[in-house]
Amino acid sequence: VDSVRFPEPSSGTVYGRPATPPSGAPTPVKIIIAGGFGVGKTTAVGAISEIVPLTTEAEMTAAGLGVDDPGDARDKSTTTVAMDFGRVTIDEQLKLYLFGTPGQARFGFMWDDLARGALGALVIVDSRRLDDCFPAVDYFEHTAVPFVVAVNAFDGLLAHDLDQVRWALAVKPDVPVVQFDARERLSVRDTLLVLLERSLSRSGGAGAGQYVAPVA
Amino acid sequence: VTSTPRDDPGAVQRPRVRPYVGGPDATSDAADPALTDAAPPTKPGLRPFVLTSGRVTSLDPDIGLETQVTTRPAAEIWVTVPVSALPPEQRAIVDLCVEPVSVAEISARLGMHLGVTRVLVSDLRDSGHLDVHVADTLAANDPEIILRVMRGLRAIS
Repeated sequence: VDSVRFPEPSSGTVYGRPATPPSGAPTPVKIIIAGGFGVGKTTAVGAISEIVPLTTEAEMTAAGLGVDDPGDARDKSTTTVAMDFGRVTIDEQLKLYLFGTPGQARFGFMWDDLARGALGALVIVDSRRLDDCFPAVDYFEHTAVPFVVAVNAFDGLLAHDLDQVRWALAVKPDVPVVQFDARERLSVRDTLLVLLERSLSRSGGAGAGQYVAPVA
Repeated sequence: VTSTPRDDPGAVQRPRVRPYVGGPDATSDAADPALTDAAPPTKPGLRPFVLTSGRVTSLDPDIGLETQVTTRPAAEIWVTVPVSALPPEQRAIVDLCVEPVSVAEISARLGMHLGVTRVLVSDLRDSGHLDVHVADTLAANDPEIILRVMRGLRAIS
């Protein structure tokens, strides 16, 4: 019978997909917090986040990083990894998300999805276990994502000074290597500012200053 | 010389599929990063992609972790399925997005696998229940945006 008629979609709208992106939602931006297992990624996220860090699980394609047996059929597979993240509301129209990426050195560096559109990345380093951060440094060196190496000073002490860390990681001279304390909100904030300064100069923005001093 | 999987330290990190992540209380022990990095214990439950009828490939690459999602204002909704008739997981998403929420937060707050969340969000957009605010990825290169973030961070004390 013809008595039941469904309403038409409103004009200018393809069914379910508005012709123009709806406005009114804040713009999200993100910074990646990377590094090895237990170097303080979640601690850093929690120190600056306005919410208790949340955890999501995602599937990632795992590259065979560090696999020394090319005959190993398991050198490429899918793995499920947990990701902790936090949020900082910058203003009504801008939200900053901080994504702590999985710590496993062997997995999770097929991060293109995550890296796309990121303002930058903080690679957190434990100076006692430098090699844990190699995959992250390698990854970001091969992307356009600006990054900063942030050495987490556990109890204010570094096993190696910043110059030694820079030498060991062999990062380019223009990559800042700074010391910080992942537990301290202001220390995390200042480290993020060092990163953003770098993002700004990469973007060609006016007012981009020189990289100043390592954060104490 | 071939190494057996048992000899391989990576073997303990076999792919693991689990539908629901633990709630924030289960994993948010920020005081101990080692704990939160570790894989949470496996819980029994539905296989994750049961909720999406097994679809994993229909992912819209524009739906990122940080992408903002909002429930469509009721007046604009033209839907064949009323919200009350949606499956519970989808209804929960619609209920959560009254305020703009990121895809990652939907996943975390509802304890849903991220891939599943993305498929369901995409479905709910197509069915007219949600607006997905696909952001301009060029925002990352916009000096204005970067400066605003810097100002915002400097305001933190």
